[in-house]
Amino acid sequence: MRNATNIRGMARWCLASAAGVLLAAAATAASADTVKVGVVGPFSGPFARWGTQFQQAIDVYQKQHGKSVNGHTIEIVYRDSGGPDPVRSKQITQQLITRDRVNILGGYVFTPNVVAVGDLVTEAKIPLVMFNTPTAAIIRKMPYAVRVSHTLPEVAEPIATWALQNGVKRVVTAVSDYTPGFDSEAAFIAKFKEGGGEVLESIRIPLATTDFSPFFERVLQQKPDALYIFGPGGPPTVAMVNTWASRLKPAGIKLLCTSETMQIDLPQIGKAALGVVSSFHYTETVDNPLNVALKKDLVEMFGPNTVPDLASVAAYDGMELIYRAVAKFGPKLTAEQAMGLWKGMKWESPRGPMEIDPKDGDMIQNVYLRRVEERDGKLVNINIHTFPMVRDPWKQKHPQ
Amino acid sequence: MTHLTILLDGLAYGMVLFIISVGLTVTMGLMRVVNLAHGAFAMIGGYAASVLVASGFPFAAAAALAVIGVALVGAVAELTIYRPLYRKGELPQSLMTFGFTFVVIATLTTLFGTGMRTLPIPAALDGLVDLGFRAYPLYRLFLIAVGLALFGLLWVAVDGTLIGARLRAAVDNPRMSQAVGVNVNLLFTLTFAAGCALAAFGAVVGAQLLPLDPYYALRYLVLFLVVVGVGGLGNFKGSFVAAIVLGIVETSCKYLVPSLAPYIFYSLVLALLLWKPAGLMPARSAR
Amino acid sequence: MTASAVHGAPRARPAAAPMLSPGRVVLHAIPWLLVIAAYVALPDYLTLGTNVLIMILFALSLEIALGYAGIVSLGHAAFYGVGAYAAGICAIHFTNEPLLGLLFATAVAAVFGLITGALILHTQGMTLMMLTLAVAALIAEAANQAHALTGGDDGLQLPALKPLLGLFKFDLWGHTAYLYAGAVLLVWFLLSWRIVRSPFGRSVNGIRQNPRRMRAIGAPVWRRLVAAYGLSAAMAGTAGALSAQATGSVGISSLSLLTSGTVLMVLVLGGMRRLYGAFVGAVVYVVVQDLAAELDPFRWMFVIGGLLMASVLFFENGLMSIVDIVGRARASRKSPPACGPDRGPAPKVTP
Repeated sequence: MRNATNIRGMARWCLASAAGVLLAAAATAASADTVKVGVVGPFSGPFARWGTQFQQAIDVYQKQHGKSVNGHTIEIVYRDSGGPDPVRSKQITQQLITRDRVNILGGYVFTPNVVAVGDLVTEAKIPLVMFNTPTAAIIRKMPYAVRVSHTLPEVAEPIATWALQNGVKRVVTAVSDYTPGFDSEAAFIAKFKEGGGEVLESIRIPLATTDFSPFFERVLQQKPDALYIFGPGGPPTVAMVNTWASRLKPAGIKLLCTSETMQIDLPQIGKAALGVVSSFHYTETVDNPLNVALKKDLVEMFGPNTVPDLASVAAYDGMELIYRAVAKFGPKLTAEQAMGLWKGMKWESPRGPMEIDPKDGDMIQNVYLRRVEERDGKLVNINIHTFPMVRDPWKQKHPQ
Repeated sequence: MTHLTILLDGLAYGMVLFIISVGLTVTMGLMRVVNLAHGAFAMIGGYAASVLVASGFPFAAAAALAVIGVALVGAVAELTIYRPLYRKGELPQSLMTFGFTFVVIATLTTLFGTGMRTLPIPAALDGLVDLGFRAYPLYRLFLIAVGLALFGLLWVAVDGTLIGARLRAAVDNPRMSQAVGVNVNLLFTLTFAAGCALAAFGAVVGAQLLPLDPYYALRYLVLFLVVVGVGGLGNFKGSFVAAIVLGIVETSCKYLVPSLAPYIFYSLVLALLLWKPAGLMPARSAR
Repeated sequence: MTASAVHGAPRARPAAAPMLSPGRVVLHAIPWLLVIAAYVALPDYLTLGTNVLIMILFALSLEIALGYAGIVSLGHAAFYGVGAYAAGICAIHFTNEPLLGLLFATAVAAVFGLITGALILHTQGMTLMMLTLAVAALIAEAANQAHALTGGDDGLQLPALKPLLGLFKFDLWGHTAYLYAGAVLLVWFLLSWRIVRSPFGRSVNGIRQNPRRMRAIGAPVWRRLVAAYGLSAAMAGTAGALSAQATGSVGISSLSLLTSGTVLMVLVLGGMRRLYGAFVGAVVYVVVQDLAAELDPFRWMFVIGGLLMASVLFFENGLMSIVDIVGRARASRKSPPACGPDRGPAPKVTP
C-alpha cells in the first residue's frame, strides 16, 4: 500500500518539477525571437539620476521605433549597480549573462564597474555598448565593446583653447578628488600650457564635500583670470557653481567647465550661470530633427520639466546601435558580427553626426563650445562654436 | 583678512550643523533612543518647504509650515514607532530607524524623482554685504544670527523655564520625575516633535550648504551623529560647542590643506572622543 | 547517598567538546548540506551564492564582536575592506597564490583590529560606537588617498590567481570560488564554535553581560575585549579577501558606511546570539535585496526598509528566534523544560 502511494507521489513530484523546470527555462531564456539587452546602471542611491535618464531615453527610442525591429522583439533588462561598486557590477553582469541570457549589454556609468567585467565579457563574447565610463584608455582593453558617450580629454581641451583665445593667461584648477577629476584636469592643463597659459594651483576637493567656500576662498587669494572645475555631478556640482557665482564671479574670475552647466542643472544654479562658457559633446538646444523629437517625446511621456542630458543621448544612441545590430543579425548575433557592424558605422544622433572609430571602437563626434543664455524665460546653453568630428586626443597622444 | 572670512564660513557651517543636530542630541540624550532617522525628518522638512515655495508660498511661510508639519509627523512617529522601541535596546532601535530612513528615501524618490531639490533663499537675504574688508554673502550672516538666536532661545527655555526644568529632570532620572508628577510620556512626545521640528528647520535654512536630494538622510547622518557624540548626549550646549569647533576646524582645513581635510576632521573627532568619552559636556550626572 | 546524588547531577565540564546527540548533528549538518545542495541545484546563481557565503562570514565576524563581546561596531567594513585590499595588493605585488593571499589578508586585518581595538576599547556605549565610525572613516579616507597602492576610487583589479591548491582553477563562472568560500567559512565557523565555548569565549560573554562583575573577579577585561576584537577583525578580513579573490576586484565601497550598516542589518536580522543567525540573516538579506532590485531597481529600498522595520517589531531576537519559538513549542509538548537555556537535555545523574 505504502509503495503504491510513494510511487504515485514520486511521479507527481517528477511531473511537477519537470513542468517547473520547463516553465523556468522558457521564462528565463529569450524566446526564439526576443533579443534581451541588459542595461547596468545606478537606479538607486545618490547617482540614481543616471538610471532614470537611461530608462527615459530608452523608452522614448522604443516609442519612436517600436519595441521590435525586423520581427525581433527587443527586451530591456535593467539591473541596479548602485554606484561605483566593481564587485556588484561583476555579479549582476555575470547573472545577466548566465541567468537572464542577454544577447547584448549596455549601460555602465563608472569606470571601475566596467573594468571589473572586461574579462568576463570578452570570454563570454557578449557585445557591450558603454553609455558612459569616460576614461579614455579603457576601451582598448575590451575588444567587444564600443562607447557612445564621450571621453574626458576630448571635452576638456576645447575650453582650454577658448580660454587662451579670450585673454585668460592664469588659471587655477579645482577638481573633485577622484580619477575622472584628475583625467579632466590633466587634459585641460596640458592643452592650456601648450598654448602658453600658466596654472597657478591645482586644488583637489574631497568627494564628500558639501561646503565649497573655503576651497574657493583659496582660489580667490590666487587672483587668477579663470577657474577650471570638475564636479562629480548632482548636488556637489551645483554647489560648486553656486559658490563660484557668489565668491569669485564678483571678483571677475571666469568659470571654465565641461559638464557642470548642463541644462538639467541650470534651474538649480539660477541666473548666476548666465554667460558661463563650457565645452561639451551635447548641447540641448542643438537644432536637428532628432534632438527636437527627443525633447518633445521626453516632455510628452515624462512631464514638462524633463530635460535630456549626457546620459539620455548616450542611451538613445546606444539603442540605435543595438537596433541596427539586431535588424541585421537577429537574436543569434555574435560579438564579432556586432563589432564588425559598429566599427566604422556612421549615423545621425540628437547631438549631431556620430561615427565609431574602426580602430578602437570609440566615438567620433562634434564637441561644442556653448554659453549659458536665457531664452523664453529659461536658462539654456547656446552653441558658439563647433569642433567637428573630434577623436579622443589622449589616445592619439598615447598610441598603442 | 582671509582668516576672518574662513572664520565666518566655518561659523555659518557650524550653525547649520548645530540647528539640525540639536534635535538629535535631545532625542538620543533624553529618550536614549538611537535615532538614525533624524536625517530623514530633516529631509522631509526640506522637501516640504521646497514644494511649498515652488507652489508660490513665500519663504518664511513655507518654512513655518514645513517645520510645523514635520513636528506633527514626528509626534505621530513617536507615538507609533518609537514608543515601543524605548525598552528594546540600541540595536533594534538602530535597525528600526535605519529601516524607516530607507522607507522615507524610497517614498521621496517615488514622489519627486532622483534629482536635487532647490530651495531658493528669499531675495531679501540674497546678495552681498560690505563688511569693510570684503563683500560677504548676507545669507551666511543670517545663518550665524539664526544659530545664535536658537542657542539663546534654548538656553532660556531649558535652563529658565518650568518645562525646561521638567525636561532636565526627566533626562537625569525618568522614574523619579514620574514619581513627582511629571508627565514623562507627554514630555517625550513633545520633545521628540520639537527635535524633529528643529531638524526640519535646519534643513530648510541650511539647504544652500547641505543641498537637498533623496539621499540627504543618509549622506549627512554621520555628520549629525558625530556632532552629537562629540558634544555630549542630551546637552544642547555641548552640541553647540561641538558644531562650532568641528565646523571651524573643517572649514579651516579645507582652506589650508584641502586634500587632508577629511583626515584632520576624523582624527579630531577621534581625539576628542578619546579625551572626553562622554562628550565635551555630558548632560547626565554620573549614574 | 553521595553528595552528588543529594545535590543533583554534576555539572558538565565546561571545556569539553560541545555535547552533540545524533539529532543535533543532523540539525547542524543541515546548513552545510544546503550549501552543497545550492552548488548542485543552482549553477546559474553561483556568484550570488558566493556573495551569500562571504556575507555569512562577515556577519559571523561581527557576531563575535557584537553578539558575544558586546562591542557595537558601526565601522566593521574597515576590516573587511582592509582584508580585501590586502588580498588585492598581495596578488598584484607579491604572489598570486590564493591561500597565501588569504592568510596575508587575515593577518593584516587582525593587526588593524588589535591596534584600533587597543586604542578605543576602554570606552563603551555611544562613545565606542562613534569611535568605530571615526576609525572606519579614517581608514576609508586613507584608502582613497593612497592611489598608488589602492587605486583610489578606481579600486584594484586582481591578476588571474593561481589554481587553488594547484588543482582548481578560478573559472569565470564561479565554481571554484563558491566551494572555496564555503570551505573557508566552514573552517572559521568551526573555529568560532570552539572559541565561543572555550573559557575565553565564556569570559568574553561575561564581559558583555556585566563588565564590572568581571573586573571584580579579576578578569583582564580590556585585554580580552581587544583579543575578541582582533579575532573578529581577522574574520572580517578573510571575508574581504574572499570577496577580492572571488570577484577579481576591490572597490572603495568595501570600506563604506553602507557596507558596515549592511552587515549590522544582516546580523540583527538573523539573530545575534546564535552562530547560525549569520546564515539566516545573510541569506534573507542578499536574496531579498537581489529580488527586490531585480523587480524594481528604483524602489528596492522600500522592501528592505519595510523588512527591517517588520523584523524589529515582530522578531525581536532576529529571524533565528523562530527556531527558539519552534523549539519551545516542541519541548513543552514533549517533556518538562530542559535545565539551563542553551545546553540541551539535562545530563544524566551519575552516582
